This record gives sequence, structure tokens and C-alpha cells, in this order.
Amino acid sequence: MKTRMLSILRRSAAWARNHKLRTAALVLVLVAFMPHAGNGQFLDPCCAILAAGLTTISNTLGNVVGGNLNSILSIEQSISNFEQQVVWPVNLINQARALVGNLQGTFNQIQGLSQISVNSATLPESRQLEQNLLSHDPNQIAQTTAAYDALYGTVPAETDASAQVRDLIDMTDAAAQTAMKRAIEIDALADLELEAAGRINQSVQNAAPGSAPIVEAQAGAWLIRANAYTQAATADLMRLRAVDLADSSAELKMGASNTANLRQGLINLLEHN
Amino acid sequence: MAAIQAVLNVINGVIQTALHEINDVRAALNNFYQSVTWPVELIRQARIEVQQMMSQYRNLMASILRMNLESATLPIPQALETLIRDHRVDNFSGLAQAFGNAYRTIPLPTDASPEDRAVADIDDALTLDNLKLLKATDDATDLELQAADSIENAAAQAAPGSTPFLTAAAAASSIRSQALAQKMLAAELRQEAARMAHGNELRKHGATFTAQLRGVLVNLLQHN
Repeated sequence: MKTRMLSILRRSAAWARNHKLRTAALVLVLVAFMPHAGNGQFLDPCCAILAAGLTTISNTLGNVVGGNLNSILSIEQSISNFEQQVVWPVNLINQARALVGNLQGTFNQIQGLSQISVNSATLPESRQLEQNLLSHDPNQIAQTTAAYDALYGTVPAETDASAQVRDLIDMTDAAAQTAMKRAIEIDALADLELEAAGRINQSVQNAAPGSAPIVEAQAGAWLIRANAYTQAATADLMRLRAVDLADSSAELKMGASNTANLRQGLINLLEHN
Repeated sequence: MAAIQAVLNVINGVIQTALHEINDVRAALNNFYQSVTWPVELIRQARIEVQQMMSQYRNLMASILRMNLESATLPIPQALETLIRDHRVDNFSGLAQAFGNAYRTIPLPTDASPEDRAVADIDDALTLDNLKLLKATDDATDLELQAADSIENAAAQAAPGSTPFLTAAAAASSIRSQALAQKMLAAELRQEAARMAHGNELRKHGATFTAQLRGVLVNLLQHN
């Protein structure tokens, strides 16, 4: 291939030496038609206008769009800083979470205190009733009456007491037993409330600032419920005291009635003598 | 040329107007946050108010609650009074002993009827139960007050975004407080019920004695 090329070049050089005029004419033609760098399809004046237009667009984008975007960025940075430093500072949020964690320890101590055994009775019947009353177990309410009757006795037979006295005894026993049963219920409810409060506290520890108000709302609802149970317990205590007061009053009335009967009996006895 | 002008018109018109409006809205929002929703000055004032209330009330109230109320004058009542007000739950046996010293123990079977012994035992038991419960409750009250102090301390340094944690913790603490108050009410119900049952038991005894006496009198009259 190389040999062939060299042979062609040698023959061309020989031809050029032999045809100087023709070679000169050929060179002129080749120079005239040699390709060279151009200005594209448009003419130069148009390109200048285009360049000026694009420069204007670029400047306008820089001033109008860029300037306004910078201004918006500045405001966004200000909002971001404000939110991170004033509204939701991460260190204060973590401190609050840590406090809730520490409080959990305190609350566990409180729950432990509420579960300490306080049983004190020594005799079989009183121990049976005390165990029932301190059971915190609503399922044991069914056994309260039997334990109560075993210790305090039942309503006297019709032959042993007047109808009025039997009614009073029955009413007082009923009020006392209901109060004892209610006390078991209240203990059980209070245990459940303590458990729920522990779970709410756990939820707070795992919450984010945005979800904590949901836990807060739930805690608020539980607090209303707890207040309602406290009211129910207070109502039962007031009922018990009302029955007690009525019982004292009935004693007074019966005393008056007995005195009147005795007086009448004495009068009758004197009249007959 | 027309195309370039059209692009410039869009930039200077629609885009510029929109950017101005976004800028205005964000600036208004920023201003609203800082002057209405979370004004730094009011946040600072709230923290100061918490601190002022802490220094004004905390020690005063604690000192009121710590005042010595003990009033017994003789050794045995003094010992019992100290034990029932000591906020401790590790000396229940000492309490029972001191209670027995002050109020005496259950009579021997030879000295009282089984019914009277049983009623005296349940009366004493429920009294002691409540005294023990109150010692535990006093201890729990101290812990609740500590929790309240901790929450208040944290509130004095809190940010608007951290307060929901404190509020929720305070609400959970209030639920616990209510639960303890309920337990005290339950104990009070038991005690009141036992007191009434005791009175009723005496009435039942009275009826029994009356019936027995009537029987004895009838027998006596019949034999004469």
C-alpha cells in the first residue's frame, strides 16, 4: 500500500514538472474553492441583535428572578432559623423528653406505694372480710355479702325485732355493704387509671412536638374520666353519710315513739289501779 | 426580535409578579410567626412569670405543708402520732405495735363474745389499713410535689415546641393524682361503712338480747 502511494506521488511530481502552467492553474482553482470557517446560516447583523437579546434576557433573569429568589431565600432562612431556635429548639425538646423519662421513675414509685399491702386483721372472720375489701378485684364483689354477714350478722327474725327496727337494720346494712362493694370497684378503677397514666407517659417519651398534642388530648380525656370516678366515689361517700344521718334521726324518732308508748302504758296501768 | 421580547415580557410580567407575591406572603408569614404566634418577647415574659411564681409560692407552700402539727403530750400517743405522720412505709409493724399500745389489743376469748371480738378486730383492722394507706399516700404526695416542681422547672425554660411534652406529662400526673384520691375515698368508704355496720351490729345484738330477755321473762312468769 505504502509502495503504491509513493509511486503515485512520484508520477504526480513528474507530471507537475512537465506541466507547470496547468499545475499553477489547478492550484488557483483549489485555493478558490477551499472550504473555510463561515458565520452560519444568518448574516452577521442578525447575530449581533440575537446576542444582545440573549444578554438582556440573562440580565433580566439575574435581576428579576434571581433577585426575588434571593429575597425569598433570605425570608425562608429567617423563618427556618426562627422555628429551629425559638419555636422548636431540638435541645429543649430533648430536655423535655428526658424529663418525662425521669418522671416515669417517680411515677413507678407512686404506683408501687399504691400497691403496698396494708392488711391488718387478726381473726378469721374479720380477715376474710378485710381480704375481700382490699382485693381490688370486682369479681370478688359477689362474696362481699357473705363475708359481711358472717362478721356483722343478718337482719333479726320477725319475732326478735319490730318491723321498723328490721327496716333500719336492713337499710344500714345495705348502705354499708354497697359502700364496701363500691370501694372495691374504685380501687380497681384507680389501678387501671395508674396503668393508663403510665402508658400515656410512655407515649409522651416517644412523641414528636407535632404528635405530643394528640397524647396531651388523650391525657386530658383520661383526666376527665378520672375526675368523674372521683365524683362517683365522693357521691357514694355522701350517700353513705346521708343514710347514717337518717339512721340517727330514725333512732331519735323511735326513742320518742317508745317514750310516748311507755307513758301511755304507765297511764293505763295507773288508771287500772 | 419578537420572540425575545415575548420572553422578556413573561419574565418582567408573570414571573416577577409571582415572585413578588411569594416574597410578600412569606414575609407576612414570617412577621405573623414572630409578632403574633410566637412573639419572642411574650415567650420570654411567660418564662419569667413561671420563675417569679416559683420563687413566690414554692417555698412558702412547702413550708406550710411541713409545719409540725403533732399535738399529743403523753409518751404512748406521742409515739403513735409520730408514726402516723412520718410519710414512711417501712415501719408498719411499729405502727401496729404503737396502735395496740394506745388503743389496746383485741380482748381474749374469755373476756368478750366472739361477735364483739370480731367487730373490734375489723374496726381496728380498717383503722390500721387506713393509717397505713395514709402513710403511703403522704409519701406519694411528696413524690407528686417533686414531679410538679420538675415540670414547673422545665416550663421555666421551655420553648413553645417543647411544652406539649410537659403538658402531657402534667396531665398524666394529674390522672395518677386522681387515682390516689380515689383510693383514699375508697378507704374512707370502707371505714364509714364499717362504722355504720358496727352500730348496726349493736342494734342486732340489742334485738337478740331483747328476744332472749323476753323468753327468760316469759319462762319466769310461766313457772310462777
